[in-house]
Amino acid sequence: MGESGSATQPGLMPLAASGTARRSLHFSLDRYFTRLAILPTFVVMLGIFGIPLLYSLYLSFTGWNMQQGLFSGRLVGFDNYQDLLTDPVFINSVGVTLVFTAAAVAAQMGLGLGIALLLNVDLPFMRVLRTALVVPMMITPIVGALCWKLLLDPSHGLFNYWLGQKIIWLGSPGTALLAVWVVNVWHSTPYVALILLAGLRSLPSEPREAASIDGASQLQIFWHVTVPLLRPYLLVALLLRTIFEFRAFDNIYAMTGGGPANATMVLSMFTYLASFVSFDFSLGAAASWLMLLMSLVMCLFFIAVIRRRESY
Amino acid sequence: MSIVVGSRRHTWIRAGLIYAALIALAFVFLLPLVWVLGLSLKTRTQVFSDPPLFLWWPTLENYYDVLTRADFLKAFVNTLIVSACAVGLSLGVGVPAAYAFARFPFKGSGLLFFALLVMRMLPPIAVLVPMYVLFSKIGLTTTHLSVVLAYSTFALPLVVWIMRGFFEDLPAELEESAWIDGASRFSAFRLVVLPLARPGMVAASILCLQLAWNDFLFAAVLTNNATQTLPVLMAGFSGGDSGVDWGGMTASGMLVILPVVLFSFAAQRHLVTGLSTGAVKG
Repeated sequence: MGESGSATQPGLMPLAASGTARRSLHFSLDRYFTRLAILPTFVVMLGIFGIPLLYSLYLSFTGWNMQQGLFSGRLVGFDNYQDLLTDPVFINSVGVTLVFTAAAVAAQMGLGLGIALLLNVDLPFMRVLRTALVVPMMITPIVGALCWKLLLDPSHGLFNYWLGQKIIWLGSPGTALLAVWVVNVWHSTPYVALILLAGLRSLPSEPREAASIDGASQLQIFWHVTVPLLRPYLLVALLLRTIFEFRAFDNIYAMTGGGPANATMVLSMFTYLASFVSFDFSLGAAASWLMLLMSLVMCLFFIAVIRRRESY
Repeated sequence: MSIVVGSRRHTWIRAGLIYAALIALAFVFLLPLVWVLGLSLKTRTQVFSDPPLFLWWPTLENYYDVLTRADFLKAFVNTLIVSACAVGLSLGVGVPAAYAFARFPFKGSGLLFFALLVMRMLPPIAVLVPMYVLFSKIGLTTTHLSVVLAYSTFALPLVVWIMRGFFEDLPAELEESAWIDGASRFSAFRLVVLPLARPGMVAASILCLQLAWNDFLFAAVLTNNATQTLPVLMAGFSGGDSGVDWGGMTASGMLVILPVVLFSFAAQRHLVTGLSTGAVKG
């Protein structure tokens, strides 16, 4: 396209010359069109993404505090990383993050697929039900978490009233992690359901009809026809949810703050506390770089999957 | 479908089961919201009644209290300002870039676009730590601008990603004929391409607005009492557990989500586009 554009350019020049000075300025700028269009994005990316990340890499090799100048921290080599990797709280938080991510994504995928299949059936009032089921994902995560916190309140919460007990849900390690998991599943299952529903809608109906004429059962059709056809959508939902659960923060901050006894201390929470509560920015930078590397691996995998789809 | 399903009775049972499952799920999904909406319509004594009240005469006094509180209104205005500015900035900066990515691939454009995807996907806390340090050294923290810039880390990639897909789907003949008619690339972009791109820009802004409105982490770190946004204000409620004013908290919560829920409903069909951000075109 760029080629055909520049090919028409010489023919235009006399026309431009006969126009106003402003017009000819426009045409002489055309040579730089792409560069000028990209430049602002490039500058913003550099300013709010590239430079901060490079600075954080530098910070992670120093012992720096807020009173010092930006580059006057003492270089300490890999000390911060070593501190992290020998800190049981950090190691624990890596474990919590991985378990939490896997459990949340698994539940969201299973439930999301179920909902998508149910919503894909042609029946009256399906639009209403779909609308009701996608509400959680629209809600401000902090507010959603507070709603659940009230439901789980030990003395005035609805759940304890129904159970007739006074369980302190967010006060003991096992139930706190469970509660945070439930809230994340509640909030993000609709994303999965919507992506998979879009996928189901786009599938051709012929393969299923052919299979049923050949005598396949509903379950066989589902496993051997629908799921393979839906695979790209399943992959996209799986990878997107993995990347987003890995960085989970808001719900956990509002519900438990990482406690009790570090049971819900995910990596985002750990980094947040190290940087903005203990004000150890060097340690926070090192923790966030370890987190970056882990999620970069997931991103690369994700982008590779998309690329492969696009090449079809 | 009719081939698969045998008898008429079978169909009815199946439909009944599907409805039952969906209604049960909808009940679970909506319960927290409905319960909290109920709490927000109770008086102070009704909120803490034991057993909980399931039928009562609703009162709007909590909403009246919240809407006359200076900090709530201030946070509302702050959220509106930073969300709108973040969307405006990302559109202004990102739309031309998306057009260039779609129409005039250049050396390194693949790499730059890849960097944008990475920017969207990396954990925000990782950008926030150095951003806070750098911003505080240049005196930018606690300003609206710092939050707007921070929001661009998710809004800009989203805009470029969605708009690139949109421009790729627009037929190139329109601009080409504008060029032949003597338009420069700038005027063709401004007068031919941008008007056609309006639906894409609407979709991109809606998604960015939703994300910006709901953001907590960036705003929690980069604002103070004067510049705090609604989610930050809401998080403050969970601080002192027992003495919390449930009525005020639930009413504010409902007011925070009202605009974004209404907004998302109005734009439901755009949601899927944004979630899969170009990965699933459908």
